[in-house]
Amino acid sequence: MADSEFDYEGALEACARGDQGAFQRLYQHEAGQLLGLAITLLGRRDQAEDCVHDALVKVWHNADRFDRTLGQGRAWIYSILRYRALNQLRSRGRLVQTDDGFIEAMADESPQAEEQASDQSDGKQLRRCLSQLERPRRHPILLAFYRGLTHEQIASRLTTPLGTIKGRIRAGLRALQECLQHDSR
Amino acid sequence: MIPDESEPRRALIGEYVLGLLGEPEASEVRDLIANDREAARMALEWEKHLLDLADQLPAQSPSPHLWERISHSLGWLPARGNAAPEGWSRWWQSLGLWRLASGALALLVLLSWLPAVLEDDPAGASYTAVLQKPGESASPGWVVTIDSDGELRLTSLVEDEIPADRSVQFWTLIDPKDGPRSLGLIEPGTGTTLSAEQIGAVQAGQLFELTLEPEGGSPLDRPTGPVLYIGRAVLIASN
Repeated sequence: MADSEFDYEGALEACARGDQGAFQRLYQHEAGQLLGLAITLLGRRDQAEDCVHDALVKVWHNADRFDRTLGQGRAWIYSILRYRALNQLRSRGRLVQTDDGFIEAMADESPQAEEQASDQSDGKQLRRCLSQLERPRRHPILLAFYRGLTHEQIASRLTTPLGTIKGRIRAGLRALQECLQHDSR
Repeated sequence: MIPDESEPRRALIGEYVLGLLGEPEASEVRDLIANDREAARMALEWEKHLLDLADQLPAQSPSPHLWERISHSLGWLPARGNAAPEGWSRWWQSLGLWRLASGALALLVLLSWLPAVLEDDPAGASYTAVLQKPGESASPGWVVTIDSDGELRLTSLVEDEIPADRSVQFWTLIDPKDGPRSLGLIEPGTGTTLSAEQIGAVQAGQLFELTLEPEGGSPLDRPTGPVLYIGRAVLIASN
């Protein structure tokens, strides 16, 4: 779980200086959450552990390229994990049978979730903004994030024409960014 | 292809971050992010917002080996004989043992199975590797020959049953630093021929192996399943 106390940027900068202890603390702090996301994306624990392994090795080797003026350290780490997981999914070329119940549930979420999340501070607005989207725009975005599906795969999963899916995702992202930017003002 | 205006550009970067873009769009956005600080900032901003979704998932305890594996990969832990690090580091660490056994046997097997190789025009060096079951030095299963033109032939000596949902993948490893390279999927009991371009230059001692992988091949750029057969290239003729 995100922990506002943990100094991700400082940890990455320490890794860039070769501080192994800082990397180990980062591992202890974040490996579980990284693994949770990797398992959800890849559907298999062994492959998810491979993914976390590869991503964290990459984090260490590339820590000197992290630049805190561009964004948050934790976001940077997850960008590496997701990129790695997506590559694994694409090279595998087939889908794992998954239970998408929780995605359906989130896609169905009413604005109660909005209230629940609305008192959260920076970095917690996404679910609230998502809940303001209509379901047909929200659902494909959730499938892309949690399952790493491509446009084509989402279209086939939701039995909706590809062009329609692309349009909905694009419109959904535009609406999201508007909502997110409005919030951060 | 990349919009000049900030908001459509931000949305496109969002699609990229979600992994939705195919080629060539994905490469265009990747280049943009690499070269344009504002685009990099937008990408990390999407990632930051998406953390909210990642944090909806319960954390999972990594297996106790994961940290050890990472430490090995970073070169922080010396290889320990009994600790059995997971994954491919385990098999290539033990390769020193293979060199002698498979080298000696390779020459013996070569004489009976592959006399044709020796008769080739010696335009370049030729090699062979006998692939054996790990730990069973008298169980040759496959033979690799690389002729003087650099063409590789993989010949099966065995008829193994492979589960329907699995594939056999052929790999080579020249330098452990570079990691293994896939040479493609192999139909059990048959063979394959690969051109010199596909193989590249072969060196004495180069590793070849067959591993059991998920159907369609390893999802990673390295083996994920057990080693079925393994052996090293031995120089058999050079001009």
